Amino acid sequence: MVVWLVAAPVQGAEFKGGLLTPSRMAPDFALTTQDGKDLRLSGLRGHVVAISFGYTFCPDVCPMTLAELTQVRGRLGTDARRFEALFITVDPERDTPPRLREYVNAFSRGFTALTGSAGRLADVRKAYGVVAEKRVVPGTAAAYLIDHSSFVYIVDPAGQLRLMFPFGMSIDDMVHDIRLLMQR
Amino acid sequence: MHVRHWARLVTAVAVVALGWSLSGAQTPAIGLDGAWARRAPMSGMGGHGGGGNGAVYVTISNAGAEPDTLLSATSDAARTVELHETTNDGGVMRMRPIQKLIVPAGGRVEMKPGGMHIMLLGLTHDLKPGDTVKVTVTFDRAGPMTLEAPVR
Repeated sequence: MVVWLVAAPVQGAEFKGGLLTPSRMAPDFALTTQDGKDLRLSGLRGHVVAISFGYTFCPDVCPMTLAELTQVRGRLGTDARRFEALFITVDPERDTPPRLREYVNAFSRGFTALTGSAGRLADVRKAYGVVAEKRVVPGTAAAYLIDHSSFVYIVDPAGQLRLMFPFGMSIDDMVHDIRLLMQR
Repeated sequence: MHVRHWARLVTAVAVVALGWSLSGAQTPAIGLDGAWARRAPMSGMGGHGGGGNGAVYVTISNAGAEPDTLLSATSDAARTVELHETTNDGGVMRMRPIQKLIVPAGGRVEMKPGGMHIMLLGLTHDLKPGDTVKVTVTFDRAGPMTLEAPVR
């Protein structure tokens, strides 16, 4: 079990998002993209990487996160080359690569959606402290819903896990923090 | 004869006036504003889990003196339409169906991402920017009303 202290911005820390202290290397993972390719997080050094977790069945929170990260990418201009946005499914049962492809492409061609075996995805969630709980809920036509963490995890160009962006954080603040990490 | 005609005219005018005042009293108390739908792919054509889902947001205001209740919604854009509410529990998002939505007298309820939405389950077509989604929402007092939500 990994426990981080999420501190509010303190002296010297001019970040708007939640700062993870002490910073440490982001737990590495290897998963499969929506195009069926292998992707390893450690292969993205030199980029600021935004990692979010969700599922394509979700029409509310997950699309909002993707739409916001699409806006962030647009605001970064030429620096967008050094920005990667990953969307890791919490629902491998339904989220096949074709379905993931259709979903993320509805928002932006720039996203990488990732899936893998249930066990491997569970390991990734555990390493990042992400909650995902499958629920069979009465009163809906949905076979099941998944309660899940809505934070966006930010990895710096050196591969360190630095920040957590809470749901509802402004685009301005996200762009600010990502630019700050790119400058260092 | 003349008197009878005159009486009929007076009666007709009275009936029209009564009708006007009744319709005036029934001016729709419910207002639907700022409706929009999130873009979403239909998905599932290849059997990948049975169709995509969408969300429609709208602000409901109630100018009436009595509370009203949103009971249900339907749309040609989806197989099933439900009312859902997402709650943020320390960063963990929990989306749940709600059976009804009460709009207080003189009050308003704003649907928005991470809060309440009209849930479209099993889209019958892609929701693309520029499209419009029609949804019929039925209230306990106001009855059925149709909203048009531009997709963005």
